[in-house]
Order: sequence, then structure tokens, then C-alpha cells
Amino acid sequence: MRDEYGDAASPPVLRQDLLLSVIEQLKQPLLHISRQAELPAVSAGPVDLHRMRVTADAALRLLDNYLLGVQLGEGGGRMFATGPVSVASVLYDVGDQLAPFAKLYGVTLDLQVEGRYGPVLAHRQGLEAALASLGYALVEALPAHDTPQLTLRLAAYRCRYGVVAGIYSEVPQLTAHALRLGRKLYGRTRQPLAPVTHGSGAGVFVADALLHAMHARLFASRHKHLQGLGAMLPVSAQLQLV
Amino acid sequence: MPRVLLIEPDTLLAATYAAALTAAGYRADCCVGAQAAITAADTARPDVVIMELQLTGHNGLEFLHEFRSYPEWQDIPIVLLTNVPPGEFAGGRAALMRQLGIRGYLYKPQADLRQLLCVVRGIVAAGMPA
Repeated sequence: MRDEYGDAASPPVLRQDLLLSVIEQLKQPLLHISRQAELPAVSAGPVDLHRMRVTADAALRLLDNYLLGVQLGEGGGRMFATGPVSVASVLYDVGDQLAPFAKLYGVTLDLQVEGRYGPVLAHRQGLEAALASLGYALVEALPAHDTPQLTLRLAAYRCRYGVVAGIYSEVPQLTAHALRLGRKLYGRTRQPLAPVTHGSGAGVFVADALLHAMHARLFASRHKHLQGLGAMLPVSAQLQLV
Repeated sequence: MPRVLLIEPDTLLAATYAAALTAAGYRADCCVGAQAAITAADTARPDVVIMELQLTGHNGLEFLHEFRSYPEWQDIPIVLLTNVPPGEFAGGRAALMRQLGIRGYLYKPQADLRQLLCVVRGIVAAGMPA
């Protein structure tokens, strides 16, 4: 059986490709810290400790999210218990987590969780980790698109099959085609998501793996006039009573 | 003041490189992508171009071929400051550098600011009238 990744349908998080992608991605924050630390030696300016801390924190989050994905994937469903989760509270927490990193890149976060969705069936920590991974990747990618509007919208909406929680922007390249192509090229090229990001796109693939481990899926979706990536989450009718 | 056009998709990293170049006496113009770089080079001719090959939406090598296709930009020195390691250039890095007139290659994770400034200084000095 072959999946969209082009290989045997093993949980993507356990594959070496994802680890290599994460390693490649981690070079970037280390590079930031190293060059920033060197800056006072070649210029009169002081070292920006805040910038170094925020980039280091983002790298640590990526590692933690990857490890959580491994634990969820290895457990084969035994390691985590799904339960009723409020999508709004997850998006608020993700927004809080991303805020310092987004500010560093000059990206504005816009949280839109109007409406009543009711709780969804998910693993809270896993869902938060997936959306945060996606968020870090998109925050870093957005300024490279040279778009005047550096805004990322964290939003949720109800659809026929459940609730979609995702991250959206004005970048038109965030399409289903780009994601499909990225999944195919992932592990074979340095920039599997070249239309979206200049890096390895590890954050997107970690989110993909986390959602895969939770039997959910990452897909390209739209929120009003914005393009983005989101997670489709099932709503249990029983949980509507919670 | 010599002008350096820096093509770097990571805006944070670009700011650090630009600060180092400015402190060393260069005017650094930063661009995140190929299209902005073409516009910037068209507005003010740079003395040196420093670029990453991994750009968003564009292949850096395609950009280089396009950049070199303009007669007025054929002799502008280009330095690659990239995350692409030396062993990953199809057909060999030296051949590519010769073909596209690349004056320097720095593997980003292992090239510090001093090395970058040293390469730029050498190129600018070589281009100065005697």
C-alpha cells in the first residue's frame, strides 16, 4: 500500500526523512544565534539577546513537537487518549506561543474564533503541537513572499465533516497542489515545499505527522478570502452535550 | 560607498548580514526573492551580489541564469552564501561557478561574518580602479 508520500504507508513521523528535515530546519535558528553572537565583533552594535532567545525557543518547540509526534506514532494509538477539546482554546494557546516569534519576523497574528463549534474529538497536546509547528513554519516563510500584508490568521470554521482549525494568509501558493507535491518530494529534495517556504518545511511535515498519528489530516483550505493549511477534526454528536 | 545586493529569504538573517556589511562600510540592499532582486539591481547597480540559492518560489540557479542574461549585469560579481552544501551541486560546483561567473561560494552554516566580509572586501578591492 502506498500513500501520498510515495512510500509504504508507515507513520510519517517514524521515517528518517522527517528527522533529516527537522535537522535541516534546526540549522536555521542555530545559524541565527551564531551569527548574532558574532555581530558585536564586526560591528559596533550590541548582541540582540531577545532575538537569540526567541529563535532558540522556536527550535526547542520544534524538537518537542517532533518528539511528541514520535511518541504518538510509536504508541499506535495506545499512548494518547482523545477527548473533548475546545478548538478556540487551542488556537488561543497557539497564538500565545507564536506571538514572540511572529513579532520578530514582523508578522501580525489575527485570531478568528467566532462562532460556536462545540468540542472536537482530539488529543489536546497533539493538536496544539501540530498547529504550533505549522504556525512557526508559516511565520518564517511569510516574509519571504514579499507580500505587503504580513498577517497570519489563526481560525476555525465548521464544515460538513467537522471543524477545521488552520492557519491562513494572503499567500496564494498555499494550495492543495503545493502540499501534495511537497509530500511527494519530501525526503528527495532540499525544498519540498518550494512555492511556500525556502527551508525544509519541517514544521509543516511535523504537523502532518502529528495529525496522521491522531488519525486526523492536514489539508489545504480557505478561510474567507485567505489560503492556508488546516486540520480536519471530527465532532462527536455526543460531545455536543459536554 | 560600494553597494551590496543581498538576496536572502530569511529576513532575520538578512538583517544580521546587512548590519555586518553596513558596519564594514558597504551599503546593503536586502531582497527576499528573485523578482525583488531584479528590480533592486535595475534601480541601482550593485557592486557585489550575495545570494542564497534556496529561494521561495524560484530556483536560485534559474535566477542566476536570468540575471546573467542581461548584458549590463554580466560582469557583476556574485557570491553564493547558501545552505546548499558543496557536494550537492549537480555537475560540480566549480563548473557551475565558471559557467555563471560566480566569484565566491560560502556554505552558510560554516561561513562566519568575518569570512563573508573578507570575500566581499577582496572582490570590491579587485574592482576598484588602480
